Amino acid sequence: MILFRTLERRIAVVFVGLLVVVMLMMLLIVARSGEAIIATESERQLTAGARNVSNLIDRDRRQLELAASVLSGDFSFREAIATQDRATVLSVLRNHGSRIGARVMMVLSLNGEVIVDTQRPGKPSRPFPFGDLLRAAESSGRSGDVALMEDGLLYEIVVVPILAPMRTAWVVMGFPVEDAWASEVARGSGLDVSVVATGGIRASSLSPTLRGALERQQSTALSEQPRQLTLEGRNYHAVALPFGPQARVLLLHSLEHSEAVFRELEHALEIIAGAGIALFVIGSFGLARRIAGPVNALARAAQRIEAGDYSQAVAVTASDEIGQLAAGFENMRSGIASREHKIMRLAYEDTLTGLPNRTRLTEHLAGLDPEAAAMVAVLDLDRFAPINDALGHPVGDRLLQQVGARLAGLMPPRGKLARLWGDEFAFVIEGADELSARNFAARLLAALREPIELDGQKLDVSGSLGIAFRPADGRDMDALLRRAELAMYSAKRRQCGYTLAGEVGDGPPPEQLSMIGEMRQALDRREFVLHYQPKLALASDRVVGAEALVRWQHPERGLMPPGRFIPFAEQTGFIREITPWLLGEVAAQAANWRERGIRVVLSANLSARDLLNPDLVVLMRELLAAHELPPAALCLEITESALMEDPTLALSHLAELAAIGLKLSIDDYGAGQASLSYLKSLPVHELKIDQSFIGSLATSPKDAAIVRSTIALGHALGLTVVAEGIEGEADLNWLAAAGCDIGQGYFIARPMTAAAFADWISARVAAQAV
Amino acid sequence: MADRAGHQTGRLTLRLILAALVLALACAADAASVTVRVRTPAGTPVEDAAVVLDAVSGVPPKSRRRATIEQRNRDFVPYLSIVQKGTAIDFPNRDPFKHHVYSFSPAKVFEIKLYAGKPANPVVFDETGVVALGCNIHDWMEAYVLVVDTPWFAKTGADGVVRIDRVPAGAYRLRLWHPRQKAAVADIGIELRGATRHIDLALDVAPRAIVAKPPLDVGGY
Repeated sequence: MILFRTLERRIAVVFVGLLVVVMLMMLLIVARSGEAIIATESERQLTAGARNVSNLIDRDRRQLELAASVLSGDFSFREAIATQDRATVLSVLRNHGSRIGARVMMVLSLNGEVIVDTQRPGKPSRPFPFGDLLRAAESSGRSGDVALMEDGLLYEIVVVPILAPMRTAWVVMGFPVEDAWASEVARGSGLDVSVVATGGIRASSLSPTLRGALERQQSTALSEQPRQLTLEGRNYHAVALPFGPQARVLLLHSLEHSEAVFRELEHALEIIAGAGIALFVIGSFGLARRIAGPVNALARAAQRIEAGDYSQAVAVTASDEIGQLAAGFENMRSGIASREHKIMRLAYEDTLTGLPNRTRLTEHLAGLDPEAAAMVAVLDLDRFAPINDALGHPVGDRLLQQVGARLAGLMPPRGKLARLWGDEFAFVIEGADELSARNFAARLLAALREPIELDGQKLDVSGSLGIAFRPADGRDMDALLRRAELAMYSAKRRQCGYTLAGEVGDGPPPEQLSMIGEMRQALDRREFVLHYQPKLALASDRVVGAEALVRWQHPERGLMPPGRFIPFAEQTGFIREITPWLLGEVAAQAANWRERGIRVVLSANLSARDLLNPDLVVLMRELLAAHELPPAALCLEITESALMEDPTLALSHLAELAAIGLKLSIDDYGAGQASLSYLKSLPVHELKIDQSFIGSLATSPKDAAIVRSTIALGHALGLTVVAEGIEGEADLNWLAAAGCDIGQGYFIARPMTAAAFADWISARVAAQAV
Repeated sequence: MADRAGHQTGRLTLRLILAALVLALACAADAASVTVRVRTPAGTPVEDAAVVLDAVSGVPPKSRRRATIEQRNRDFVPYLSIVQKGTAIDFPNRDPFKHHVYSFSPAKVFEIKLYAGKPANPVVFDETGVVALGCNIHDWMEAYVLVVDTPWFAKTGADGVVRIDRVPAGAYRLRLWHPRQKAAVADIGIELRGATRHIDLALDVAPRAIVAKPPLDVGGY
C-alpha cells in the first residue's frame, strides 16, 4: 500500500480514517433518528392538531349556537316571527341570517314542521329533515351538527328555540362549510384541513394542485389512525376526524418543516464533519510530520552514517522520546566519527609528525590519473642516526617533526608529503617534469640546510633526494618508490644532494634479482667460504695476521671472487645478512687457531651499511664473549669511501668499536676523499694503502712518492701502515726499505682456505726454525 | 312515633275540612263546591294548575274585572293569573329599575316598554286563551295569564288542591291546564248539584326551569 509506506501517512490515514468512520456513523445515526423523530414528532403534532381542530370545531359550533341564540332572542326578530306573516317572517329570517352569516334560515313549529325556509320560499310546509337535531334541541335547548342539505352543500346546522318567553318555535340556521372555513380552522390548528363528504372534497385549505392530488388519494388518507402519504412529492401525515354523520375532516401535517429542520441539522453536521475532517487531516498530518519528521531526519542521518558520512551532526530539537533518540544517535554518530577519524589517522597518518604515511601516499598516487605525469621522490636525512644517538630519541623525534613541518611548508599545491619510516620522507608531485623536479629538489635541499633550532641548539640538517618519474620509471607506487630510493642511495653515496632515477639505472638487473635468492640459498647451503691471505710484518719477516676474504663456491659458476657479488649484496642490503655470518666465522676461526697456537690477528671487511648498523657493536661484543677472544685478536677493515657515506655516524660507531678494544683498519686508503683532519680524529690502528699505488711503485715515481709520504703520514699519526697488492720481490724490498710495517700480496701468499693457511703457516714456521 | 304524629295531623286536617263543608252547605243550599286535587302521575302535588269550569249552557256572569301582576324582585308575581275575559290587569313595577313587559301570544299581544312604577293604563285581556308574559330585559321573567270566559276558576296551591265555591248547580266542563303541562288533558264533563264535588286529577308537568338571576348591583345598575 502506497498510502502506508511512510510513518507520516500511516498515522494520518489511521487517524483521519477513524474520524471519517465515526463521522459517517454519526451522520447515519442522525439521519436515521431524524426520520424517526420527524415521524414521531409529526404524528404528535398531528394528534395535537387534531385535538385542536376538534376543539375549534366544537367552539365554532358553540359560537354559532350562541350567535343563533342571541339572534333568536332579539326582540324585534321574535316580534316579527310572532306576526305569523310568512312574507314578513321570510324577510326577517333573511335579514337576521345575513347578520351572522347564516346562508340557510328556517323556522320550525314546535312539532317539527318547517314553516318558513329561506331556501324554499313559498313552498308548503314539510317535516324538518334532520329529526335527530331537533330531538337533541328539544332535550338540551339547542343543538348543532354538520349535514348535507338539498342543495348538495355541506352545512353547519344549528337549531335554537324562539322563546316568548316560553318556546314558541325553532329557528334553524345553516352555515356553509367551505374553503374559507377550512382555511380558518387551518390557521387555528397549524394543519392543512380538508372536509370530505360523499362525492369528494367539499372544502379545503390546500392549494388546488394538492387538493387534486389528495382527491385521488382520499381513500388511503381517510383513516382515523395517523398515516403517512406523499402528495406532489411532499410527505404528509394524515388523520381523519368524524365530522357529522356524513362527513369527515381530513387533517394533513406537512413533514416539510420538520424535515427542513433536520436537513438543516444534517447540513450543519455535514459541514462540521467536513470541517472537522479537514482540520483533522491538517492536524494529523502536522502531528504525523512532527512525529515522523524527526524520525525521517534520523533515518536520513542513519543513511548518511551508513554511507560513511559522519560529518553532519544529528540535529536534536525536541526534548521528547524522539529527541532522546536523536541525542543518542548524535552521541553514537560523534563516537563513530571520532573512532573512525582515529582509525583513519592510525591507518593513514604517521603518528609522530602527523604527516600521511606510506599507505596514504600510495592511495593518493593511485587516485591520480594513471596516464598523467607525476614525480615520486624519497628524501633521507644525512647523519640522522648520530644525532639520534647523541641527543636521544626524544630530540630525534622532535627533529623529525620539525623537518616534516618544514617539508610540508615547501610542498606545492599539487604535492603530497608523507613520512615513510625513520628519517625517510617521500612525496608525490602531480604533473612535474624533469626541469621543475630539479628546481624543486634544489630549493628543497637548500631550505633543508637551514639549521634547525632545538632547545637553543642549532642542528645542521641535510638530506639526499632520489627522484623517480611516472610513467618513465614505473607506474605503481612500489616501483616508483624503489627507483627513487635507489636514486636516493646513489645521491647519498655521491653526496650530490639529489639524483634522478633515470641516472642511476634500473637498479639490479634481472639476473641480479635472482642472485639475491641464490645468495640466500648460498647462506643456507654454506656455499660461502672464507679464504685467508697472510699479512707479513716486513721488519721481522713474521706473519702477524690474515685478512679473511669471502668466496662463493657457486654450484654452477664455480668459485666467485667477492667483486662479483659483494657490491650487489651491499646495494640490495643483503650484506646485512652476510656480514654477521662472516664475522661469526672469523671469530670462530680465530678462536680455533689460537687454541692450536696460531696467533694471528684476523681481519674482516665491513661495508658502509655494516658500519652504520648500530647493532654491530652489540654483535661484536657477543662474538668476543662467545669465543673468549681478546678484542685485539680481531681487526675490522673499513674502506675510506664507506666511512664517507656518513662520516659522523661512522666516527661514532668506530669510537664504540675501538672502545671495546677491537683493532680497526682503514682500507683502500687514498682512493677516497677523507681529509687528514677527519683521518686524525678516527680511532683506528692501521692504514692500508690502496693497492693501485703499490702496483705501480716501480713504474711511477709519483706513486712511490705518495706511498712513501703516506707511510710517513701513518707513522706520524701513530698508525701501522699496511701495503697490499705486493706482487714482486722488488716492491717488497722497496716497501721494507720505506719503512712500511706490514705487507700483503700474491708475492707473499695468495688467499687460501683455513686448512691451507694453517698448513702454510706451520710450514713457514718450521722453515724459519730450521 | 313520628308516623303516629303524622296520622294525627292528617286526621285533624280532615276534621277541619269536614267542618268547613258542613258550614258551606249551611250557607248556600243551591250552590255547589268543587275541590280538585292535581297530582303528577308519580303522586307529587302540582302547584299553579288552573282548574276552570265552563258552563255547558247559559251566559256566564261577569265577575271581578280587575287584577294585578306585580314585578317584584325581577319576577312576575303571581306566576299564573286566571282572569275572566275583559279583565284589566295592572303591571305595577315594584323594583327600583325598569321592566319591559311583552306578550306575543295571539290572545293578547301587547308591550309595556321600559317603565317604572305603575303604568297609567292597565292592559285589558278581552280574548280567551293563554297569554305568555315576558320581560324583554330580564329573559328569565315569565308569567302566564289564562283568559277564560267564566267566573268559576281557581289554581292549585302548593298542596296541589284547588277549591271552587258557589258554583250554581248545573252541567259543566271541567278544564285543567298548566303552563308547563307536557300534554293537554281532555275536559271533563261534570254535573254539580248543591254539594261539594271532589275530583282527583293527574297531570304531567315539566319542572319549572330555574334560571339563575344575575346578581343585583348594589347602588349601580
